[in-house]
Amino acid sequence: MFSQILSVCVFSIMALAIWAVFQYAPTEREMGIVQRIFYFHVPAAMTAFGAFFVVFFSSIVYLKNKQDRWDCLALGAAELGVLFSTINLLTGPLWAKPIWGVYWRWEPRLTTMLITFAMYVAYLIIRAYAVSNIEHVKRVASAFGIVAFVNVPLVYFSVDLWAPEQQLHPQRGVPIAAEMKHTLYLCYLAFGLLFVYLLRLRTELEESLRHMAKLRIHHHE
Amino acid sequence: MPNSLQQTLALLSKDAVLEWRTKERLTPTVFFVLLMLLVFNFAFEIGGAALIEMGPGVLWATYVFSSLFGLNQTFSIERENNSLDAVLLATATPTPLYLSKMLGNLLFLLIVQIVSLIFFAVFFNLTLGSQLLYLVPILLMGSAGLSAIGTLFAAMSYNSRLREFMMPLLLLPVIVPLVISCVEGTKSVFEQTGLGELNYLGNEWWPHLQLLSVYTIVFTTLSIMLFEYVVEES
Repeated sequence: MFSQILSVCVFSIMALAIWAVFQYAPTEREMGIVQRIFYFHVPAAMTAFGAFFVVFFSSIVYLKNKQDRWDCLALGAAELGVLFSTINLLTGPLWAKPIWGVYWRWEPRLTTMLITFAMYVAYLIIRAYAVSNIEHVKRVASAFGIVAFVNVPLVYFSVDLWAPEQQLHPQRGVPIAAEMKHTLYLCYLAFGLLFVYLLRLRTELEESLRHMAKLRIHHHE
Repeated sequence: MPNSLQQTLALLSKDAVLEWRTKERLTPTVFFVLLMLLVFNFAFEIGGAALIEMGPGVLWATYVFSSLFGLNQTFSIERENNSLDAVLLATATPTPLYLSKMLGNLLFLLIVQIVSLIFFAVFFNLTLGSQLLYLVPILLMGSAGLSAIGTLFAAMSYNSRLREFMMPLLLLPVIVPLVISCVEGTKSVFEQTGLGELNYLGNEWWPHLQLLSVYTIVFTTLSIMLFEYVVEES
């Protein structure tokens, strides 16, 4: 029942958000139509970092209490974090080409996102290829999930120190039209709810898969 | 029961004796460093102004790749003899094992760094005088950070099928802050070469050393905390 209500909520808010992005929000004066990509780009980044925080938190809990559901949650969140950071990394260059004139710049926020993305791809590689001992893999992945999250601020500071003159992203706290602000908040909500919805599905799927694997072993014995 | 410091030193001396007798980590790594510098020389034509511009990057790329080589071997003796559980039983907690392996890697990396710095200086006509004083903390902190996180990752890939692959995939993205600060710190030292006397390079050098120290302290602490979960028997 809850998941049905959630799915109705997610999809109606997403539809509303798409309407707001293309109809309600005004076109930006200098950047023009391409600025609308920002309503996908920024919430995707926020959701990705939210997902990586979930990986971090559930990895700690898993190492403490060794309950499988926390490990499933960490795995699901890592996959979704990689998905949302991919959306962020793809929409960024599309916006950057007309505005900066190039697809890519080694600018602190871009670089940080790319390295973060690389770390969580490595996390998924641990999961995918280390099949020797399932329990060991879970602990290794949890440890890496913690290390990766702690590293994110360090990556940001070091890249910022390395090339401070590269800071080209629009700064935070720039006053924007109220309609733009509302649209952005609506998009945060839509992305956030979509993340929760997908995370629930993925975690349940993983739990069923593991349950099935256990039953199969049991059957063979 | 000896205390954990004694346990750490006992494990460290065991590894040191084994390495001293076989030299199976040091010899190939030193040769590897030589080959890397050879390749870099033809790839970049380092010399003159390019020495200051690209030299630090070449030097640290050499360190990082050759250390990957050595770090991967951290637990090779235990793996070959299937003796990790026995070594773990020898101490009350896994921390002495981590510390001994980490210190062993630190020694290993420092030797590799000294050797490659000498090769580098000879090949590319680098004359370091009192500037060396500024380079030492960067080298020390850089290898401490690298061995702290590398030892943890070596334990992580201990059981993995893709061991040789796993190490660079895990390590390279995580050490980005370390590599950036080491390269930038080294560059600020190299910029002083040829100027004769030592100038105070606080502003260009100190922020990178600070970040490097934060990185090393954070990941040493975190690795000590996480190591027991990574080697724990299932």
